[in-house]
Amino acid sequence: MTETTGRTPEAVERTPRTTGRTPGTPERAPLIELTDVSKHYGTVRALQGVSLEVHAGEITCVLGDNGAGKSTLIKTIAGLHQHDGGTLRIEGEETRLASPRDALDRGIATVYQDLAVVPLMPVWRNFFLGSEPRKGSGPFKRLDIGLMRRTTREALLRMGIDLRDVDQPIGTLSGGERQCVAIARAVHFGAKVLILDEPTAALGVKQSGVVLKYVAAARDQGLGVVLITHNPHHAYLVGDRFVLLKRGTMVGRHTRDEITLEELTRQMAGGSELDDLRHELEKDTP
Amino acid sequence: MERTSDERILQSSPLRKLLSRPELGSVVGALAVFVFFAVAADGFLRASSLSTVLYASSTIGIMAVPVALLMIGGEFDLSAGVMVTSSALISSMFSYQMTANTWVGVGVSLLVTLAVGAFNGFMLTRTKLPSFIITLGTFLMLTGMNLGFTKLIDGTVSTKTIADMEGFPSAHAVFASTLTIGGVQVKVTILWWLGLVALASWILLRTRAGNWIFAVGGNQDAARAVGVPVTRTKIALYMGVAFGAWISGQHLLFSFDAVQSGEGVGNELIYIIAAVIGGCLITGGHGSAVGSAVGALLFGMTSKGIVFAEWNPDWFKFFLGAMLLLATLLNAWVRKRAEATT
Amino acid sequence: MARFPTWVGIALAGALSLSLAGCSSTGGKRAEDARKAAAAQGRAAVNTPRWTFAMITHSGDGDTFWDIVQSGAKQAAVKDNINFLYSHDDEAQQQAQLVDAAVDKKVDGIIVTLAKPDALKAAVARAEKAGIPVVTVNSGSAQSKAFGALTHVGQDETVAGQAVGEELTRRGKKRALCVLHEQGNVGHEQRCAGVAKTFAGKVENLYVNGTNMPDVQSAIEAKLQADKSVDAVVTLGAPYADTAVKAKADAGSKAEIDTFDLNAKVAAELRDGTLGFAVDQQPYLQGYQAVDLLWLYKYNGDVLGGGRPVLTGPQIVTKDQAAALEEYAKRGTR
Repeated sequence: MTETTGRTPEAVERTPRTTGRTPGTPERAPLIELTDVSKHYGTVRALQGVSLEVHAGEITCVLGDNGAGKSTLIKTIAGLHQHDGGTLRIEGEETRLASPRDALDRGIATVYQDLAVVPLMPVWRNFFLGSEPRKGSGPFKRLDIGLMRRTTREALLRMGIDLRDVDQPIGTLSGGERQCVAIARAVHFGAKVLILDEPTAALGVKQSGVVLKYVAAARDQGLGVVLITHNPHHAYLVGDRFVLLKRGTMVGRHTRDEITLEELTRQMAGGSELDDLRHELEKDTP
Repeated sequence: MERTSDERILQSSPLRKLLSRPELGSVVGALAVFVFFAVAADGFLRASSLSTVLYASSTIGIMAVPVALLMIGGEFDLSAGVMVTSSALISSMFSYQMTANTWVGVGVSLLVTLAVGAFNGFMLTRTKLPSFIITLGTFLMLTGMNLGFTKLIDGTVSTKTIADMEGFPSAHAVFASTLTIGGVQVKVTILWWLGLVALASWILLRTRAGNWIFAVGGNQDAARAVGVPVTRTKIALYMGVAFGAWISGQHLLFSFDAVQSGEGVGNELIYIIAAVIGGCLITGGHGSAVGSAVGALLFGMTSKGIVFAEWNPDWFKFFLGAMLLLATLLNAWVRKRAEATT
Repeated sequence: MARFPTWVGIALAGALSLSLAGCSSTGGKRAEDARKAAAAQGRAAVNTPRWTFAMITHSGDGDTFWDIVQSGAKQAAVKDNINFLYSHDDEAQQQAQLVDAAVDKKVDGIIVTLAKPDALKAAVARAEKAGIPVVTVNSGSAQSKAFGALTHVGQDETVAGQAVGEELTRRGKKRALCVLHEQGNVGHEQRCAGVAKTFAGKVENLYVNGTNMPDVQSAIEAKLQADKSVDAVVTLGAPYADTAVKAKADAGSKAEIDTFDLNAKVAAELRDGTLGFAVDQQPYLQGYQAVDLLWLYKYNGDVLGGGRPVLTGPQIVTKDQAAALEEYAKRGTR
């Protein structure tokens, strides 16, 4: 048997498609709006006074060093934790998320850095995990495997990923490709908001570029994206809004036109603290 | 361009597909062992001998199937061996003491055994302790209760015969009869076994539950994050083992009329060995029901083939160990390939 | 060519030279071989066809008792020109399957133990149907005839227990401890029940974990310390008698240790008076007689026992017989 590709390379959409929705019209309420949110673990303050907005067709970047509270913030939006203070509004409606399932049902999909997929399972099984389409009835209800394979392949092609074999274990894909499958999955299942936890952290320069391209593709399909990263260069490449966290508090909140990459990098790297440090070091050296 | 339909694209090279099958190693091993005994052992190929080999395999295979499913789901059940004895004891003693139709005992036994399985699953998911510890506890408790209750109720270490009770003939027919198919005596357990393998394969490969089993064994956190009911899946898997124990237990009871309370200890390892030889990853996430059947068949062929070949049975365990090691090495290699780029 | 690291070579050379230089003039393999030469050997004394007999027992792995049964069976097999096969499994279901396999193999005779009779009923019936004569040995005297076996060679466990009870009474004991090392063994229960039946004093059962000797010792020790009135301890297997002796010493008890079954150590301890008496069921005889009876049946249609079990025990062994038995026990036939 020979392997044949169904579509000619020309048919693969390299340029992201635009959807019918106009991204981020100002009069519309943001998809997610956090105001002054805080979270405590016992006596430990993990998050204090954080506010952010996620609009459709925009990328909101959350920047911060290790331990800045980024993961607590995601878990709050993803429904794993509930916030203690402040308000969480989804499409203008104040709410609390009871569970990850609750968040998913409201269209908030999270792609975690390390636990996005089950490595030994085929790509198509991973793609539909937890939301498997079925046919038949009663005790003979079974997976619609043809549909699952076809859809997986099509959804990946739409994101610009051309997988020859959706039957291969997802563990055999590269780290970037796996992130992309997870992103394509969230897009396919009608997520309105996509939360990406450090999607580029473990990747090389080239792979990171690939992943960012798919993040942009998701944005262009009209999703609101929350991109968590500690790399200001990656953030500035695609981001529309930036939130900077440090030790659980928000130290900066900017839109793209308010800030330059240099300023973002400076704030991220420690901002004024870094200036003081440089000053001190200069004094000490004779 | 007409032949390039969507379905065609999805197929990969047959060789690669074959290599990634979990039961590959065991099938090759089983063929080798079969050919070996066919040549070395006088009378091994006789229909009645093969029927005995299949029967021996089925008594292990019935349990190896749910144990394999559980292992794919990432857990162990060390109580599986004595649970078979417990199930038989409950059925026997309930019928006898209540002077009830044996089918009532069979039903009560099913409920109690499933409850034990559910207890295992519930404790595991609740405490988040390793399944090794939880089921080791159940194993010891069941062993003690088997002996204790039997002694307490029957006064001896084995139950009294229920062969003369109402419902025995029909229950015997279901669980322990011998059918004659084409002049060959075939034990009904072989049919139970094949049925369970077919059912388990269907569940694993064609249903949503199967997808969940692979997922909870392969990456529990990922599964939970995408909305797979991890707790429910694991409890169901343990109840599956209990169901297998119930079938085996009823077979034990209705083929021998009475049950020895001290038996079953150590069999849990045999089930696990069959599953592992059949390609189940001991860490979960990979394996097949067919593989466990081949593992059980290997076990049956070796244990009886040694008798046919007139060898000293002392070497049986050595062969078993060697096969286990080979199978595990092969599995490890498969896994490495699958996760090579991690 | 595989190369071994140098240190392996040195270690091997060292071990070899030590083993050459450090010869022992007593005991060890050489002494054992000398004794073995006096045991099973020889050649066929008959010119009947070479029949195949299979023996299937309920023995666990590596049980010394069954080695003695086997050596008896092998001796008879040599004499009777028999191809003797032995297999065993302590799980009843597995043992039944082994009998099935022997039937499939179309052996000429089957010797089987009925420790768990219900489980073996169907398998024995299948052998009868296939025209294979069956002799039961060791346990199952009550069921042997009903199952259609030619005869049973062994010891009635209850009778053996009663013999112990009588002997204890004769020795004027008041309070005995019956140590069961295998939970769930019917034969063991019968032995202790037999003791209780004929013993004038009181008998108490003590369950221990037979696969864990230190546990056996500590359990007996604890019991002896707790109850100073115990003046006799009966163990159900020869290896446990020695353990009971150690427990007695540690507990500072005055109780007499008696045991079922015999081995070299027990014989020696009987001789020096550490043990009171032993009840032997003569396992060698069980193996030897079973094979010989099958041969007689195949050759001449002879059946021994007249429909009753052929008893190989109980034989009460005391200090007087011990000296002679010790030598036999050492070569593995008693």
